[in-house]
Amino acid sequence: MISSKSPTCLGRVLFKLSLILLTFFCLGSPSIRADDRVVSVGVYENAPKIFTDASGKPAGLFIDVIEHIAKNENWDLHYVSGTWGESLDRLARGEIDLMPDVAYTAERVKIYDFHKIPVFSSWYQIYAPKDHKVKTILDLNEKRILVLERSVQQEAFVRLSKGFGLNIALISVPDYKTMFEMVAKGEADAAVTNSFYGKMHAKKFGLEDTAVLFEPSDLFYAAPKGDPQQLLATIDRYLADLKKDPQSAYFASLKRWTSEEVRFKLPVWLQVVGSGGLGFLILSLLVSAILKRQVNTRTQELQQENAERRAAQQRFMDIVDFLPDATFVIDQNKQVIAWNQACETLTGVQKADLLGQGNYAYAEPFYGERRPLLIDLLDQPTPEVEARYKHLQRKGDRLYAESFVPGLRTDQGAYLWGIASPLFNQDGRRCGAIQTIRDVTGQKHLEEALRVSEREYRELVMLANSIILRWSPEGRITFLNEFGQQFFGYTATEIIGRHVVGTIVPENESKGRELRPLMEEISADPQKFARSINENIRRNGERVWIDWTNKVVVDEQGKIKEILSIGSDITERKQAEEQIRVLNDTLRRHAESLEQRVAERTAELAAINDEQRTIFESASTGIVLLRNRVIVRCNRKLEEISGYAPGELIGKSTRIWYPNEEAYANGGEAVYLQLAQGETFRREQQMARKDGSPFWVRLSLRAFDKDAPKKGAVGIIEDITDEYEAAEKLRKAMEAAQAADRIKSAFLATMSHELRTPLNSIIGFTGIMLQGLTGPLNPEQHKQMTMVQNSSRHLLALINDVLDISKIEAGQLDLALATFELRPSIEKMVKLIVPLAEQKGIKLQLDVSEDIGSIATDQRRLEQVILNVLSNAVKFTEQGQVHVVCRTENNHYLLSFTDTGIGMQPSEIPNLFQPFHQIDTGLARKREGTGLGLSICRKILDLMGGSIAVASQWGEGSTFTVRLPRQPGDTV
Amino acid sequence: MNNRLLIIEDNEQNLYLMRFLLEKSGFTIMGAEDGRKGIEMALSCKPLAILLDIQLPEMDGYAVAAELKKHQDLDEVPIIAVTSYAMVGDREQILAAGATGYIEKPIDPQTFVDEIIRHLPKDWQSEVA
Repeated sequence: MISSKSPTCLGRVLFKLSLILLTFFCLGSPSIRADDRVVSVGVYENAPKIFTDASGKPAGLFIDVIEHIAKNENWDLHYVSGTWGESLDRLARGEIDLMPDVAYTAERVKIYDFHKIPVFSSWYQIYAPKDHKVKTILDLNEKRILVLERSVQQEAFVRLSKGFGLNIALISVPDYKTMFEMVAKGEADAAVTNSFYGKMHAKKFGLEDTAVLFEPSDLFYAAPKGDPQQLLATIDRYLADLKKDPQSAYFASLKRWTSEEVRFKLPVWLQVVGSGGLGFLILSLLVSAILKRQVNTRTQELQQENAERRAAQQRFMDIVDFLPDATFVIDQNKQVIAWNQACETLTGVQKADLLGQGNYAYAEPFYGERRPLLIDLLDQPTPEVEARYKHLQRKGDRLYAESFVPGLRTDQGAYLWGIASPLFNQDGRRCGAIQTIRDVTGQKHLEEALRVSEREYRELVMLANSIILRWSPEGRITFLNEFGQQFFGYTATEIIGRHVVGTIVPENESKGRELRPLMEEISADPQKFARSINENIRRNGERVWIDWTNKVVVDEQGKIKEILSIGSDITERKQAEEQIRVLNDTLRRHAESLEQRVAERTAELAAINDEQRTIFESASTGIVLLRNRVIVRCNRKLEEISGYAPGELIGKSTRIWYPNEEAYANGGEAVYLQLAQGETFRREQQMARKDGSPFWVRLSLRAFDKDAPKKGAVGIIEDITDEYEAAEKLRKAMEAAQAADRIKSAFLATMSHELRTPLNSIIGFTGIMLQGLTGPLNPEQHKQMTMVQNSSRHLLALINDVLDISKIEAGQLDLALATFELRPSIEKMVKLIVPLAEQKGIKLQLDVSEDIGSIATDQRRLEQVILNVLSNAVKFTEQGQVHVVCRTENNHYLLSFTDTGIGMQPSEIPNLFQPFHQIDTGLARKREGTGLGLSICRKILDLMGGSIAVASQWGEGSTFTVRLPRQPGDTV
Repeated sequence: MNNRLLIIEDNEQNLYLMRFLLEKSGFTIMGAEDGRKGIEMALSCKPLAILLDIQLPEMDGYAVAAELKKHQDLDEVPIIAVTSYAMVGDREQILAAGATGYIEKPIDPQTFVDEIIRHLPKDWQSEVA
């Protein structure tokens, strides 16, 4: 026990001693150096690589190396302490010149510079509490693991664990010491540190290394990017030398700081301890020699005593060895005292390797590790251990249990049946225990196969999605599986013994087939009906289609005992088939009608195409398809009208139709702008024939698709040269007529004047004479002068009326529009005619309704019309009355003049408003008026937007109705 | 008392007719066969009124009326157009040219003199009455 502890004690002593030595070393150096170059070096806590010692001075492997270089190069080292992260930041900012213990990574080399020769190599290792079970990295799954924050191992470990698909709670901690403390306190399951630190400190915290180590890396001094002080090359130079010489300061430092070296290399210790320690060593050797002699004496006595006991034991061992089951025996100290041949066969571990071994050594051949087994449960029932066994039973003081051991049978695993029993000596005292183990793997496999086969069969029959039916040749049901029962809706007791027909088989299928004869045929010769598809019926009356496979079951005499029928429900399939059939029919019909329609449509299209081509070719106008003002296609007519041979126009620019460039240019832009808007462009223009002669066309152009101008435009070109010439002739004729008309008007005006002048004298002097201003006239003279006067007045009226008619027909009668009240106008005209009416003894009635208001028209002309119609009425009425009525109808006035005069024959009415028409009354009576009055009235009313109509009964009288708009333009 | 009436009329019979009727009623008639003479006479003898034909040789009635209107001392002398121009607009055109009255030919011998008197200044009318 003492010897096992000594390395640690020695290590601790040595460590302290080294510190003292180092302190001396460090204190001695500053006085030597000149103030050549100041190099500031970052320090953090990661012993033994770099750390601050008890006296507050930086120490460790990296410090030793850099101090060695500094001493030779006369660098003045300044140390700047901080955490790892702080130090890296300082280095990045250039606040320090060197940072020791930096692993080279692709990320870091972007920020820092490194020298080339690594100072040390290190790797990372997982440290866990002493009783840890971490064998491989896989054992870290679901564990809390600590890593140094921003360290290389953090990334590396994350990468590593991800690669294994592990779920690890990774916790970043600023320094290793805290990490180990946390693991020690149970705040985390393990910690990742570098191998240097782990080796040195793990034990102190009760931790030990695990088998998980990774990411060996090279450690360097890092300088800020660009290495402003140019230190790195110097460091490389020194390292090259230092690493060549095993006696160099480099190796001295390694020896000093690496605990492993320290632990085993006693010569170092001896050198340090010196001659004082040697005396103590000799003394202790002497003491141990005396002790050894005493022990040997006692041993000889005991050998004698045990000889007989050993012989008995040997016999027991032989028996054990002979046992067919694997058997081993342990003594009270749980050391193996027997391990029989069967055990060796089962585990492959030889007796010699185990005998005398304690501390659960017997478990290793089975489980690869030392742990309690069934045999250990005899004295100490532990739930954890018991949980590893199945069917654990205690009978008396014996234990029976089954277990599965994965490592046996070359890692295929083995089922073991174990019995453990305590052993007692003659005195009845416990002297050990025995365990026998039988490999039951073969049996287990057989059992399992049987179980699987049985389950499969059960599932097949009971749970299969098939109906399994057994029935007698008489048709009685003897068995129906669970699926079948559920399917048809019967329980076993309900269905067993009943006839198939009338239960699950209907008398007839839906389509009429009789099923009872079929059943009889099947039962008579099941082999012939190995397969039958027929309709069945459920208890609820639902019809189903089932595909049956029939098998015969014969008895020993070969007589048909039963028929086994296995059926599948194919109702849905049947329905689907039916649907498919219907769908196919429909599809076929559709396809046929579609084909027919396509054929019809094709024929139609061909006909349309023919028609269109015929129309195109036989059209009496030119048709052209233009694209970018180039003729793509045109019909024969167009070629004809422009004087080209068939096909000659195709591909030609429309420039050929224009007499010059300017006309061609003018013909373009406006047209295409309009076409682009989807409008039809129309114009009449002159074009040139092939021979250059001009001709007139009416052109209309339209784009095929206004959004796709490239598709071009279609043009209709109509030769209107003849039409044009005719129009020209007409225009000239019109001009001539208009000139003639002007002459006529002037002639009329002159005529009117010239006629009036002599009439003035005739009427004037006749009047004078009739007045007696020139002396008295005798009665005959008076009578004749009156005739002259009447004739000349009639002549004047004729002149006036002819003038009016001429003016109206020449369109020279202009209305002088004014707004005036209609009622006074009517009254004024009636008043004028009153004397004539009184003279003839005719009653004149006027009825103007209250709502008659104003009118906008030519007053003088309107009054002329009223007077004319009214005087006619009086003139043609010999007795009775004339009734004038004025009413409003919407925006019109209606003026009616009703007389009780001679009236008119229906045949006379159409010509009534023609000039120079006067009704031939057939009576010898004096005709008054010119015969132009009604004609003038109608023309005046036409101009006013009004009208005149007549209704008459021969011998009973007439009614003239004048309709007038209140405002010009008011329509009925 | 001024009772002179100037008649500008190229047609001999018509001039005679009017002269006959008006002299019968006690007016003194001066006749002129054309516009130029008419204007001269109007300026020299200051008539009570001027009866003016429109259709005249050389200078028509419109021009004569316009010329007469230029003379201030003839300002108050009525110009009565007596014309056979009976087309639409003739009347308006004549009145616009400066005439104060319009009598259409052929004249009615029964009403002619009364119509002339109606166009004479008020003081004269009352005197006659």
